[in-house]
Amino acid sequence: MSPQQLFRRKLGYLLMIGVLALLLLWMGQPATSATKGAKDSPGGVLARLRSHYRLSQAELGDIDPTSVTIKLSTLGLRGIAANILWAKATDYQMRKDWANRAAVLKQITKVQPNFINVWINQAWNVSYNIAVQFRDDYRERYRWIIKGFDFLKEGMVYNRREPRLQYELGRMVSQKIGKADESKQYRRLFKQDDDFNAGVELALRDNWLVGRKWYELAINMVETMGVTMMGQSPLIYRSSGPLCLMSYADAIERDGTFGEVAQTAWVNASEDWRRFGNFELPTSFMLDDKPVLIRLNEQEQEEAESRKLVAQLEAIEPGLRDKIIAEKKASLTKAQREAMDIPSEKRTPKQLGLAYQAELAVATTHDELARRITGPNRKKAIELARKAAEHDQIAQTIRSNRMVVNFDYWRSHAKTEQSGQVLTARKLVYQADRKAAEGELTAARDAYRDGFRAWRRVIDAYPDYLMEQTANEDLVDAIQRYHRTLSQLDEKFPKPFILQDVIDQYRRQHQEVQDEAPAKTKKPAPKKAK
Amino acid sequence: MQSEVVIETRSLSKVYRDFWGRQKVRALKALDMDVRRGEIFGLLGPNGSGKSTTIKLMLGLLFPTSGQALVFGQDAREVTKNQRIGYLPEESYLYKFLNAEETLDFYARLFNMPQAVRRQRVADLIEMVGLDWAKRRQLKEYSKGMTRRIGLAQALINDPELILLDEPTTGLDPIGTREMKDLILKLRDQGKTVLMCSHLLADVQDVCDRIAILYQGELKEMGRVDSLLKVRDVTEIRATGLSPLAQEEIKLAIERNNGHVLNMGNPTTTLEDLFLKIIRDSEEHPGRRVRGVAERS
Amino acid sequence: MVLDLTDVTPFFTWLLGPGWTDGALFQPITLVVLLLLAGFGLFTLVRRARSGCGETSRRAGLVFATIMATVAVVVLGLSLGWMCLSAKTAAALQPKLLNSVAWGLGAGWYQGAAYQWTLVVLCASAIALLLGWLVAAVRRGPGAALAGTGQVAGDAILDTLRISPRRVGALAWLAVMESIRRRVLVVFAVFIVILLFAGWFLDRENIDPARVYLDFVLTATTYLVLLLSLFLSSLSLPTDLKNRTLHTIVTKPVRASEVVLGRIVGFAAVTTLLLAPMTAISYVFVHRGLAHTHELVVDDLQPVEGSRPGQPTALQGKTSRVHAHRHRVFVGPDGKPTNTEMEQRHTHLVTPHKDGEKTVYTVGPAQGMLVARVPVYGKLTFRDRSGKPAEKGINVGDEWTYRSFIEGGSLGAAIWTFDGVTRERFPKGLPAEMTLEAFRTYKGVIEKPVLGSLWVRNPSSDKNKPVQVMLFDSKDFVIDVHRIPLQWQTAKGEKIDLFKDIVSSDGRVEIWLKCEDRGQYFGAAQADMYLKARNASFAWNFLKGYLSIWLAGLLVVSLGVMFSTFLSGPIAMLATLGALVAGFFHDFMYRLATGQTLGGGPFESITRILTSANMTSQAEPGLTTTVEQTLDAVAKFGLYLLSAVLPDFSRFNFAEFVASGFSIPGDTAAMYACRTFAFVVPVFVVAYLCLKNREVAQ
Repeated sequence: MSPQQLFRRKLGYLLMIGVLALLLLWMGQPATSATKGAKDSPGGVLARLRSHYRLSQAELGDIDPTSVTIKLSTLGLRGIAANILWAKATDYQMRKDWANRAAVLKQITKVQPNFINVWINQAWNVSYNIAVQFRDDYRERYRWIIKGFDFLKEGMVYNRREPRLQYELGRMVSQKIGKADESKQYRRLFKQDDDFNAGVELALRDNWLVGRKWYELAINMVETMGVTMMGQSPLIYRSSGPLCLMSYADAIERDGTFGEVAQTAWVNASEDWRRFGNFELPTSFMLDDKPVLIRLNEQEQEEAESRKLVAQLEAIEPGLRDKIIAEKKASLTKAQREAMDIPSEKRTPKQLGLAYQAELAVATTHDELARRITGPNRKKAIELARKAAEHDQIAQTIRSNRMVVNFDYWRSHAKTEQSGQVLTARKLVYQADRKAAEGELTAARDAYRDGFRAWRRVIDAYPDYLMEQTANEDLVDAIQRYHRTLSQLDEKFPKPFILQDVIDQYRRQHQEVQDEAPAKTKKPAPKKAK
Repeated sequence: MQSEVVIETRSLSKVYRDFWGRQKVRALKALDMDVRRGEIFGLLGPNGSGKSTTIKLMLGLLFPTSGQALVFGQDAREVTKNQRIGYLPEESYLYKFLNAEETLDFYARLFNMPQAVRRQRVADLIEMVGLDWAKRRQLKEYSKGMTRRIGLAQALINDPELILLDEPTTGLDPIGTREMKDLILKLRDQGKTVLMCSHLLADVQDVCDRIAILYQGELKEMGRVDSLLKVRDVTEIRATGLSPLAQEEIKLAIERNNGHVLNMGNPTTTLEDLFLKIIRDSEEHPGRRVRGVAERS
Repeated sequence: MVLDLTDVTPFFTWLLGPGWTDGALFQPITLVVLLLLAGFGLFTLVRRARSGCGETSRRAGLVFATIMATVAVVVLGLSLGWMCLSAKTAAALQPKLLNSVAWGLGAGWYQGAAYQWTLVVLCASAIALLLGWLVAAVRRGPGAALAGTGQVAGDAILDTLRISPRRVGALAWLAVMESIRRRVLVVFAVFIVILLFAGWFLDRENIDPARVYLDFVLTATTYLVLLLSLFLSSLSLPTDLKNRTLHTIVTKPVRASEVVLGRIVGFAAVTTLLLAPMTAISYVFVHRGLAHTHELVVDDLQPVEGSRPGQPTALQGKTSRVHAHRHRVFVGPDGKPTNTEMEQRHTHLVTPHKDGEKTVYTVGPAQGMLVARVPVYGKLTFRDRSGKPAEKGINVGDEWTYRSFIEGGSLGAAIWTFDGVTRERFPKGLPAEMTLEAFRTYKGVIEKPVLGSLWVRNPSSDKNKPVQVMLFDSKDFVIDVHRIPLQWQTAKGEKIDLFKDIVSSDGRVEIWLKCEDRGQYFGAAQADMYLKARNASFAWNFLKGYLSIWLAGLLVVSLGVMFSTFLSGPIAMLATLGALVAGFFHDFMYRLATGQTLGGGPFESITRILTSANMTSQAEPGLTTTVEQTLDAVAKFGLYLLSAVLPDFSRFNFAEFVASGFSIPGDTAAMYACRTFAFVVPVFVVAYLCLKNREVAQ
């Protein structure tokens, strides 16, 4: 090759580099804000994309020189590198080589520190999957659970605008420690853990409280930073904090803390739940082209409003609704009519179908009613009907949202639990349990009797309590312990038993469960159903 | 004088083939020649005539397609012959990262010389080629002439009986060329045999006892330089201090004796004439060994 | 695939077969005589070859080559003939033949690597000669071909015998100088830079930081050194050819063998020169990186629960947090602290001082992080739940089938049989170190570990019953140490003496592991229990780890030099790189070649990938499948050959053992050194032949 050719080629390369550099310069133009008379510009394509996907490193979190070095040295192949490392980590996990697995995991996070799912998924993997591999020593298991938590905390350093990490940590801290079979041990270790809980007061070192703190941090980020909790509905994530407080109150009672402390805990939980109920939640229900915001606490209000409007509507032409219904009934077939007349629990499947059709046909909306009204009131009636329907709709939306988080149950549960009666009843049974465990059987028996008497009073005062499955199951457990204590004393189980209705309710509920799932054998001593 | 044959080739041929084994170039066609002890033998030919190929075949750097090259009566591929050979490649293929001393010491070690001998020999040779002042410098800093000299020194490291020089004077300035030629003659005087190839006719003419002229892989002419160049019916007159008048007189004298003045003045290199004639002849009658010039001898 | 240390064969047994000590050849007197004879013969041969003039030695070479060729042909013919013999005659002849060989070399000689290697080399040479002759015969006729082949063989022998150390030394020196010129030191600088930055990303919070550190330095060194030797060795000769500097060399009395050997030695020297400081620096790096200590403040110590007030009580507490861990410390009622509890696989020594009225505790440096345990492995067998011998235990559903499980509360047991257990070796009883995996089928009592027991049994007779030694609480995934004492009393009051009653006269003993909790399981693999004979020097073990890198480097260098004798620079480099990569995936290649992988051969797998088919689904019969499978069969055969020829680089890696704190047995190291040289020799021969028979000037 002649020097001329070489020179020309070099020139060509130089030109190409120049063109590419210009292109890059144009595309990567940074955004400028409208200061000092300059025009506001969104910047080049790259800058806009960067801000759209929130990829700017300084915004994401700490810039780690190692991470940057590794990212650069993979020459744009870090996706592939991460994949290979991930496969390696899986292999190490299969071969239970925890040391190497942890080392590889660290490398993955260096290669892709802003891939949120890596942090969440691997933290979960460590706390939930790897921890249980240490099948023998619960302390070792606890340490691995904490390793998962620490992993998430590390992720937060790299990702400052990702509430999902905080939320996930809140979920893991509260649930993994509090809901495990070993929760008693884990909670104890958690209290003693000076490292994970560095700087946290001893009294607040409860997994439920710490978990709630992380939930709150996540929500705080959503509210102040304008970031979203990708793919999570506010209904769910906002309910997590208050639920933590309920679990906290429940947990300290299980640990034997009653009286004012427990009561305060329940009061706090109740208050938090109320606050949650007052929060404006977005819905998919549109009104005037705007999504309706609802408050869970307002269902009753909306219903009352609707009722008021319907009353006004019906007052315009009293008896009209009954008349319409009677007309509709007349047009039903004979079979449908007959099916309707049979009480619902006695209907055969076929009759059930017929009755359902009939009820649909007979149902009369406010609008139908209003449109039958003639005269000067017609316009007013239609307006009333529309408003009533709107309130109905909102109430219905609230109702279904409430169902999702079991709103009513928790509200009443928190209320009931803070009553002195329940607290006394719980305390008595707890003391009985302690005595039984210590072998003081007669004392235990007497304490149980006192406890059940207290429970009797509670149930009489709050009949709904009987219907709460968890509470019911707890009580049945206690009754079984009482039963055991009695048989150890060679005494017969008293009949009639003071809480016979609790047992009956339990049987009924489990009968239902069994009917639904006949394959399951009847559990002789159901520990917690969950 | 019938002396011992040092190099002998018997219908030595070389065909270069490409990767697929197809014939590419016939570099050498059935060469028969011999080099005798104590003479300076010149291989002459234009670029691509097969001089280098011949030398490489003699050194075992290439393998003959057919025929044989014998050096000291052994096959050219035999390694032991190298003990008595010195070779100066066309360009000095030396390691640029070594200095002069290291270079010579390295090659001396390849001759399995003990250290004491080596040290003496290296010092002598550096002295001889006059590079004492630069012996600690890396070869990459050397000029072409210096590299050539160190190349020559490495060729002489083993005090060889036979020295093969591939284009010994290319790239040297006139003084360097002269020195090289003097050295070659000195080596001959020491009883060494020298085989050199060159396309610089003057060099060959000046130093060679015998030459072979190669063209397109064929031997065109071989013989003693003096007899090859002697033209019997031509008399050359060279004199100094003649006035134009005297010159005119001599011309007249020649004409009087039925002579004919061809040219008078600076004589041309006659080997060049011979060489060009051979090439012209070959182009007119390819494949024929040129006898025309030699016949006149 | 890593090497398995549980099955270490003594070096000479590996080399010469299990019965070599009985062979007549290896009796001291015969051996001395033979060695003297062989030495004398070799000496004479070399001297004659060196000094003899060309013709004589050539003739000698020819004669030698002919003899070798004849031997090879005879061996080949005999083995062919043996295959053709009728089964009966063969059966009758076999014992006689074998007996006579066995008398000389000891029974089982054919298992000796040396013989196998010799046989393979002989056969390969014979085949090569035969092929060479055939090729030459086609071109030049049988007679001339025989002469030519003889010439090549004769030359080869002469060129080997006449290798001059000085010339090789000179060429090696040149290779070193060349490497220096090629800025080899840059690699060293890179290494230093990597180490400087390594502190940033090494996971010091790992449960086993020593492993992370050691793994890292060993791997980094391996890659750097192997890549370096790859570049140097494969580019050197081609560069010399291109620059024609080789012309000046081969026109000196230098043999092709010396050129090749010079390069190999030279680049091996460069590797060594580079590896030596790297080893030293790595050692310091690991040591310094892991060194740490903790603080223990008196106020952190609290009385142990259940202690009575007023009496001297035991204290417990935790040290300060360094490198993401703390240690628990116990101080006895006498005020003497124990060593800290194990964390991140190490402990610290705690010493109390009196500072006036107060006691101050000093925590020493980390202990047990960098160790080289010398394990004595046993052979593992199982008893199933009814007490019958079984090869494997129960599979509890793990994807990884490395460990087999035994059921608690049944007759199931895992039994290790140890050899060579002597009082001299274990004067204080048997230190059994275990790594168990407990598997719970039910949670049980959460705060109580699964209970296990160790038993011992004398294996000399089937009638002997196992005797219980101890009960222990299991620990997951940590090395748990239990010492089987010299004497103990059983529950029945029997006094047991370990060496008198349990260890058999030939030094064998069985250790039984049982799980005592009904319904719970213990998982164990062969390497999970060993007797720790002693702690070898960690530095020495570290050095052995680097020796393995050196050996691998030597392999790469010789391969690189070989490829560069007949390929151009970049191609030679690629070829060497290919050999290296294939060598690292040797195990996978072998499994692929022998059809042990899921998803079929290469072509079938490609189809599966393209059609997104499952790895395990049956390929539908049809034309494409047939074509695929035919192609696969060819590819598999090729892979099989490749895997047979290429060295398994992944095995030349002792890093795993250094990192996990096990001493690499000298026998294993010697074996791999031997294997390396066994590989380098044929590579050298091939390289020599290639260089010898190529035109340097083309």
